[in-house]
Amino acid sequence: MKSEIKTENLDLEVPIANVDEINELLRRYGVKFGIYKNGVFKEQLFPFDPIPRIITAQEFAAIEKGLIQRVDALNMFIYDIYHDKKIIADNVVPEDFVYISSGYLPQCEGVTPPKNIYSHISGIDLVLGKDGEWYILEDNLRIPSGASYPLIARELTRVASPKAFTDNPIVDNRNYAQLLRDTMDNVNCGGINAILTPGRYNAAYFEHSYLAELSGAALVSNDELFVENNVLYHKTYSGGRTKIGALYRRISDEYLDPLTFEAKSLIGIPNLMEAYRAGNVAIINAPGNGVADDKGIYYFVPKMIKYYLGEEPILKNAPTYLPFYEEDRKYVLENIGKLVIKDVAEAGGYGVVFGSDLSAEKLEEFRQTIIREPRRFIAQEVIDFCDLPIFEGNEKVMRKADLRAFVLSGEKTRVWASGLTRFSRNPDSFVVNSSQGGGFKDTWVLSR
Amino acid sequence: MKKLNFSFSTKLTFDNYVHDHSIALRCIPPETETQHILSCYLEISPMVPTEQTTDAFGNLVTSGYLKNDHRFLDFEVSGCAEIDCGKLRRDFMPCYRYQSPLTKPGDQIRAFYESIKGECTATSPEERAAFFSEKLFGRMSYVRDSTTIRTTAEEAFSQHKGVCQDYTHIFLSLLRMDGIPCRYIAGLSSCDGETHSWAEYWTEDGWRGIDPTNNCPTTDYYLVLSQGRDYSDCAIDRGVMLGAYTRQMQLIASNLSGETY
Repeated sequence: MKSEIKTENLDLEVPIANVDEINELLRRYGVKFGIYKNGVFKEQLFPFDPIPRIITAQEFAAIEKGLIQRVDALNMFIYDIYHDKKIIADNVVPEDFVYISSGYLPQCEGVTPPKNIYSHISGIDLVLGKDGEWYILEDNLRIPSGASYPLIARELTRVASPKAFTDNPIVDNRNYAQLLRDTMDNVNCGGINAILTPGRYNAAYFEHSYLAELSGAALVSNDELFVENNVLYHKTYSGGRTKIGALYRRISDEYLDPLTFEAKSLIGIPNLMEAYRAGNVAIINAPGNGVADDKGIYYFVPKMIKYYLGEEPILKNAPTYLPFYEEDRKYVLENIGKLVIKDVAEAGGYGVVFGSDLSAEKLEEFRQTIIREPRRFIAQEVIDFCDLPIFEGNEKVMRKADLRAFVLSGEKTRVWASGLTRFSRNPDSFVVNSSQGGGFKDTWVLSR
Repeated sequence: MKKLNFSFSTKLTFDNYVHDHSIALRCIPPETETQHILSCYLEISPMVPTEQTTDAFGNLVTSGYLKNDHRFLDFEVSGCAEIDCGKLRRDFMPCYRYQSPLTKPGDQIRAFYESIKGECTATSPEERAAFFSEKLFGRMSYVRDSTTIRTTAEEAFSQHKGVCQDYTHIFLSLLRMDGIPCRYIAGLSSCDGETHSWAEYWTEDGWRGIDPTNNCPTTDYYLVLSQGRDYSDCAIDRGVMLGAYTRQMQLIASNLSGETY
């Protein structure tokens, strides 16, 4: 069974054969993710939909330029915050937003990562508005996951329907491995590249092992690592040691080093921060990045682009209001019923409330909360973004979808010509996060 | 100005062998405007190769890694320093304006702050700091072993008792609510053979010390070992090890003696 999909005059042969088989293979590969629901950890499959999102070469070129600009400015911002703090002194970003952010780590003050790169792998979430314009929803600069999903899905689809890839001008996305390797090599301080996983029971273990295999990095866990004389080593099976020059860690900042951060962490590496401070190992992504992917800081990214690069932002933010500013607060309180309100301290689609879903009583309650804690929230216009077709059984239905683009900052900043398209399975929901039960698609960037 | 001889030692004993033991010590007093280090020796047993870095807060961090089995870890730092608290340090960080994990106020501290803040009409940081220290001193009782190193300001305040660490945390919490930047100091003073902690608050001229546990300004008899937002940034010794031990025992001894000139 093949399906014809019409996307802006392009007739593409799209594989939808064997979708159950592909999902079964994905399940066997362990392509899953974990979510916390009501305090209980649950692992669930990440359903794959076979109809790809298609982005033309021309459209991709514009997104690419905008993403490079954005990530370059974000890297300059993080460097500035942990060093000179010029953007605060020049009153572009109010200091409260920086220092109250839970992602700001004073332990990283004055520490300079190799080549000044903080966000090596950035996952930028965008949506395509019905007005034909792409909007940035979120910048994920800590340890954005998801690149492995379109990679493996493409691999399996290629096996199931090889013809789709010979007949259609699709940019090969297998270069992610090379991009990742180049990114690690670029900052490697001497030694091997390694990917640090919290272990087999982590929901993203598939991604960790798959990326290690593809990029040639060693897959390591913390009990195989130690720091001696400010150098990070991997214990080899024969009792020897190998120096690690770049560590792509898939654990969050607070668990990274129990002697600097959370003392109770059992998955960290003691004194890793000392080795990092001494310039003997690159940590990918650098600790402390959370300060720039804070929802409150998001508002200021277009201003950062102007401030650091002297350029107009190519990609737009969703129209956002900060109740912290009096004018914005007035607007938010008056229009709360049509806005989406986000709690800046939450992630993964949690703490997101649509005003239109609330009763009059709840709205009033929310208004009072905003007046009491204006810094805790941002409010955004609901973007009416494009639906994409998905299969619900044998029926094609339209659902909301976003795109996580992967931007890798090595010697140059490069955008991977693919990405993770996530969709909501609930027809009434705009929330596409996998932690909220969505599925994913491959993203085809065309070469013409 | 005072010349102080200082020594501080800890003996850590385990009831079974441990290995892969990583340590980070913040026990070497930093050279600052207020203290000039004339000599300083650090001995660690069993012998372990160490490295030194300076952390974000300006602390000298001595790190080491003991791979092989051992049942104890002792270290002693000793030396001689000239202290002059008439001079002021000016190493400011913006994070000192904000609450930190251990000082974050809860309902109890907040209510206490609201109930007393109006009583003090003074606006200078010096007077306000002295006022909050006085109020806190009246509210808390010093009770050994009533808290642990993980106790937060709010927890200690709720039980109205604690040790110097808790007094300092609550004091920092109050001052930060009041908009005065301040920081935690771990060091040595007259303190029953243990380490002591106190606070510094920011004034136009620089940092000034105050000892909330004793409700007095600091003097030349206070030697700084480390500083940070709260205890978690300043811990004099932190360690992580592997092993089948079930108990560890730590003995601490400190000594400070000096002459004025």
